[in-house]
Amino acid sequence: MSELPTGATKTLKASALKAGASVVGIADASAFDAHAPKGHRPDDLLPGARTVVVVGGAQPRAGDWVATSPWLLSTMGTTERIQGVGRRLAQAIESEFGYYALFVPPGTASGDAPFLSLMLAAELAGLGSRSLAGPILNREHGFMYWSAVITTAPLQVDPPEAVPACPAPSCREMWEREGTTPCLRVCPLDAGGCLSGRLEGARAVRTGYDAARCNTRVHTHWVGGFQKVLEETLNEPDRDKRKMLVYGDFMTRTLWAITYSSTNIAQCFECMRVCPAAHGLREMR
Amino acid sequence: MTSFFRLDPEVYARHKDEVLRLSNSFQTIDARGCSDREIAERLGLDERTVTEIRVVAERDVYPLDEWERAIEFKRKACTEWSAAALKRPDLKEP
Repeated sequence: MSELPTGATKTLKASALKAGASVVGIADASAFDAHAPKGHRPDDLLPGARTVVVVGGAQPRAGDWVATSPWLLSTMGTTERIQGVGRRLAQAIESEFGYYALFVPPGTASGDAPFLSLMLAAELAGLGSRSLAGPILNREHGFMYWSAVITTAPLQVDPPEAVPACPAPSCREMWEREGTTPCLRVCPLDAGGCLSGRLEGARAVRTGYDAARCNTRVHTHWVGGFQKVLEETLNEPDRDKRKMLVYGDFMTRTLWAITYSSTNIAQCFECMRVCPAAHGLREMR
Repeated sequence: MTSFFRLDPEVYARHKDEVLRLSNSFQTIDARGCSDREIAERLGLDERTVTEIRVVAERDVYPLDEWERAIEFKRKACTEWSAAALKRPDLKEP
């Protein structure tokens, strides 16, 4: 195996930004051991892994956040753009540096479990920190999409982010005033939502998260929705009623989403829509 | 030649709640979700069986009605945000 050229980390990061990433960071592969169970660590996917390169970007624009239909933001999902950057970096690491590079597949290994947590990777690469709602927020850009490359290259690693974006100052004020935050109020676990938590000074503490219910919202018209309606249809003995299910709006929309692939995977953004740290809330005309 | 893996519905019914509780499906502050292998070791099952129980249970835990509620939730939350962010109370649902 060749020696890593001087300045390789800097060169790789510049390539990532040039390719369209808004941020890029590098995590130590062994740092995952303290957080992820065996089977979901970099070395489990690529034996001999030393670092994980993470890129973030392709975040929704201001107009997407204020659109009056939730379906607009889901169909404007741009995850594939950042995945393309990840694939290019993997190619560059192998062709220019001569080290193994594994693009982390954005899909799931089984059921809802990912191969490797991209959010954990982003956090360990110093690109952001976990918000009360769940997604990793970058201090400058807020909510982003992530892509990661596991490599045997001994790149220079970045430290974790020192100051988290969540809770935002206005959320701390709201907590003092009302005992809740925008994300907890819009999707409360104790009232049919997904989230529970609290603020302890400048620290957000998430106490509960119903991933299964979140799945019904994020993937309403996706694999889960398809399976649920399919089951209902198979159990329906009346031919005309079966037709209503199969030809109906839910099934039709679900099939559009599935066949348009990842441009339509993420379908719920409500905890991020109301989050002051997620998209800046810059005044637009 | 191996046959297609089919999960026994009785095994599923017996273990689904415990598998979901130990997995990442419902996350709490005091415990990280276990991998399928870790759950299998705890429950004395093989990993493939746990994976199958978890995957089926993830979809089974909420009825189809919850998907319909998801649509209503997003429509309402989105409209309310648009009305507030754009300072257009007329956009808010009556």
